[in-house]
Amino acid sequence: MPELISDEELVARFPGQALTRDNAAHYRGRLERRFLVDRCVACGRWHQPPAPVCPACWSSDIEAAEVAGTGTIHLTVFLHQGPPTTGVDYSTPYPVVTVELDEQPGLRTTSTVVGAPNDAITIGARVALDWIERDGAPLPVFRLAAGGRS
Amino acid sequence: MISARNPLKDKVAFAGAATTGFVAHNTTRSQASWAAEACIKVLRDCGLAGADIDGICGSSPSALAVQSMLGIPELTWFANPAIPFVNQVAAAASAVHSGLCDVVLAYHAPYRSPWATLSSLRDPFRRLAAGPVGPGPGPGPETVAGAIGYTAWASRYMHDYGVPKEHFGLVTISDRSYGSLNPAAAMPEPITMDDYLAARMIRWPLCLLDMDVPVDGADAFIITTAERARDLPLPPVLINAVALGTIDHNEEDQIPGLHRHGQQVVVEALRAKSDFWIDDVDIYFPYDGFTIITLSWFENAGFCGPGEAGEFIKANWDAEADRILIGGRVPVNPHGGALSEGGTQGSGHIREAVHQLQGLAAARQVAGAQRAIVTAGGFFFNAQGLTLRRG
Repeated sequence: MPELISDEELVARFPGQALTRDNAAHYRGRLERRFLVDRCVACGRWHQPPAPVCPACWSSDIEAAEVAGTGTIHLTVFLHQGPPTTGVDYSTPYPVVTVELDEQPGLRTTSTVVGAPNDAITIGARVALDWIERDGAPLPVFRLAAGGRS
Repeated sequence: MISARNPLKDKVAFAGAATTGFVAHNTTRSQASWAAEACIKVLRDCGLAGADIDGICGSSPSALAVQSMLGIPELTWFANPAIPFVNQVAAAASAVHSGLCDVVLAYHAPYRSPWATLSSLRDPFRRLAAGPVGPGPGPGPETVAGAIGYTAWASRYMHDYGVPKEHFGLVTISDRSYGSLNPAAAMPEPITMDDYLAARMIRWPLCLLDMDVPVDGADAFIITTAERARDLPLPPVLINAVALGTIDHNEEDQIPGLHRHGQQVVVEALRAKSDFWIDDVDIYFPYDGFTIITLSWFENAGFCGPGEAGEFIKANWDAEADRILIGGRVPVNPHGGALSEGGTQGSGHIREAVHQLQGLAAARQVAGAQRAIVTAGGFFFNAQGLTLRRG
């Protein structure tokens, strides 16, 4: 594991993102292209968003653990307009998806789907994690996965 | 665990409500000037002087700025809770009932954000007042936090229940028809389904006409004990029950589903605390900041089952006036709601409910209206409800 960068350096790598002490581990993971989600060491349950205690058992023994990155599209939005962003062109409506991760029912994360036509990005479609670069930092995204609908 | 305990039932009342009316373009007035106009109007309507007020509760500008601006000599209580406006009503009613103060001036001044349109961005005072937000590095578009959350769950609603987008449009058409009778409305022109379907798509599946209208303007209210309200010139409107409902998974992408979010908690709480529910009301005020919210309120309030709101609306359509009229009797958002009067974050719905129950709703008056239900807010962090009856 590479040496941890300082908090100052970490924040500088993600301008505009709402980094906190409680989600810093997730963003450090992004720099190594590892997708980390908070998991309670005491009871084993995952939770989103990152929190300093486990909402299920109130333990403060929380680790940011790597997930497989596979899941199912739960929500879809196609943005016809949005914030100016490097590499994003809204002339083709830009997909935003909330994905339910395979690790635990109801455990979700939100990103985009790359490499697929919009009409294939549907609720129920299976996806897998991938990474792209944006403004010098890795961004977790999804690709449609083989295996079709769940 | 939802309690039926409700000691403030009918003990606190609206003594009056007033509005400036709303406009859907930038004005050269400050937010404070709109708030001041509404506050002065409601104080005069109620025959009150500044010295009669000992509590202030509102949104923006701050309660202390309003006190200073209006020269209210002394307060023993004030608050600035987060909108929608049932939160202000709940705080004020609690303060009055507990004796922290006797007479509350409550206000909300919706004000067009400088980032809403290019023309508002050109107003330097609006930019400065909004603070350091806007263009610059942001978190990027890959989020459903905030308003986008409603669009995300609208897509899930269409998927789960197999309903067409037209079901959302019915809400807008009805609001516009009702709003045509409201001189305070920012967008009083009726529209057709063709107009709705041709509107500019913003975030599929919701278009420009699925979203409330950004406006300038203000509403203001006097909230006091039922006893004191009876001594004032206008008919009192009693607060029968009030609730703010949330659940543990309250983030936009983490709520369990359309079957389980803040709205269900509000309905369960109001049904436990209130003396009446949907079969006994004369007017219904479901929130309509996004059309999906209104459909969801119909379903959660118990008018119909999950996914059935569009069909329920069609079955209760007043074809002559092109609007919803439940059972041929109960109007829905007769002031035009957020999609016609303007995005008031609930203050317009509550003001209209008060006016209707006071018999002061002019051309929109529902004859003999005795009881109203307001269900404000959406799914995640702001579902709220209020039952009101004529005193």
